[in-house]
Amino acid sequence: MAKLVLSTGGTIVHQCFLEQARVTIGREQGNAIVIEDPAVSRAHAAITAVGNDYILEDLGSVNGTLVNGTPVQRRILQHGDVIALGAFHLRYVDSRASSDIDLERTMLIGALVPPTGSAPADAMPADPDEVHVPSARTPRAHFPKGYVTRVTGPRVGETRELDRVVATFGMPGEGVVVVTRRPRGYFVTHVEGRVHPRVNGQSIGTETRELREGDVLEAGPDRLQFHLR
Amino acid sequence: MAREFIEVAAVTDVGNVRQYNEDSIAVDAENGILALADGMGGHRAGEVASRMATEVLVADLAAATAGMRPDAGPRGTIFALESSINRANEAIFAAGRADAKYGGMGTTLALAVFRDDRVTWAHVGDSRIYRVRGARMRLLTRDDSLLRDQVELGVISAEEASQSHNRSLVTRALGIGEKVVPHVADDAAVPGDIYVLCSDGLNDLVEDTDIELIVGALQANLPLAARHLVQAAKDNGGFDNVSVILARVREPKVAERRGWFARFVAWITGRAG
Repeated sequence: MAKLVLSTGGTIVHQCFLEQARVTIGREQGNAIVIEDPAVSRAHAAITAVGNDYILEDLGSVNGTLVNGTPVQRRILQHGDVIALGAFHLRYVDSRASSDIDLERTMLIGALVPPTGSAPADAMPADPDEVHVPSARTPRAHFPKGYVTRVTGPRVGETRELDRVVATFGMPGEGVVVVTRRPRGYFVTHVEGRVHPRVNGQSIGTETRELREGDVLEAGPDRLQFHLR
Repeated sequence: MAREFIEVAAVTDVGNVRQYNEDSIAVDAENGILALADGMGGHRAGEVASRMATEVLVADLAAATAGMRPDAGPRGTIFALESSINRANEAIFAAGRADAKYGGMGTTLALAVFRDDRVTWAHVGDSRIYRVRGARMRLLTRDDSLLRDQVELGVISAEEASQSHNRSLVTRALGIGEKVVPHVADDAAVPGDIYVLCSDGLNDLVEDTDIELIVGALQANLPLAARHLVQAAKDNGGFDNVSVILARVREPKVAERRGWFARFVAWITGRAG
């Protein structure tokens, strides 16, 4: 259950659980959260529940709504967010944030009802590829930064950053390898072709091998030296 | 045995965090049938629901397509998919009612059937189907999810969606009602195309651009590509079960497709292509 904690000058003055579909915040009586501060507009902001989310919206306030110091028009509240309202702070506390995993469990919910007059959900955009829903979050893992330099051929000395999840080298049919970027380092594996890759002159067959600083990788006609930044 | 029309690689993995794998996959490469499901429900009911869905569907569709006339056409396959999905739905729904510990269980579904130079696919919930052609990938399915609805209706922007907690809230599933309406579509099965069926444990953790890169770069070795997709999801956190099925449409031999003798053989054996 999520709640809001109102404080001023470091003292908690009010707490409330987000139990309603919509909570309004403002100076005027009648708001769910009334903040008597001249810097707060009569109807300043609102928080709407949608599924597991609480969405904060500025209602056209004079001084704007700041979350963690940044002005926002709309924001999906995240555990620990601090909304600044005049001399008051409203902190968003989501107790589910500590049990992150349970949130990931697939559950059934009613479809969102489109506003009156618009098409029903089933008749929405014909091409699913037009709407992009990005992946969940930026990965929490840290990835190393590596690159390879060509040590032979017409493009000798050329450097290629290994800044994506995979990079392939070699020649189709003859020998292709993949260099995979993982949190623990870079790994090389044979993909296809009759010639298996070699690391420091030794064939690795179809095994996966971790690359170390200075290793020389041979893939088909390519000879590359691996480096970590 | 007839030469298989598709080449398939499939992996399912519990991930880094969960205790159980509630995803299920089932493949009948010979008959060109692929099914992937992501179960939900208390205790281990999700596992039961997803396994029922994939097993019932693959067996049911193999029987249905084997009994189909070679000239049944795309409509015949679409009808077979819809009927089989509803039979699977009824089986899961009945099991949920018969046993209290399975009450309320359900599952998503991604299903593809390759037959007669065509591919027919269906989905329910937030399991996805993509197609990689050359090095470019397209999403073929529209998630039945609250998050997708929010983005389409403009409640939140695509950028904000990555901050949402509504990722796993699906608006449609198999096994939770007496009937289910799947989303079904079909297209020509173009040789070289790769179809990607996955549970949200993949696309929630790996950006589409990286899925596209991995499948595009490693398409010469489908089992390696499938393993890399699952590994990427786990390297990015692996909060959920992760499953993927990759299927490449093979290059047909002209004689097999066009020769009168091959067509005659296909006709008498009930198999075309």
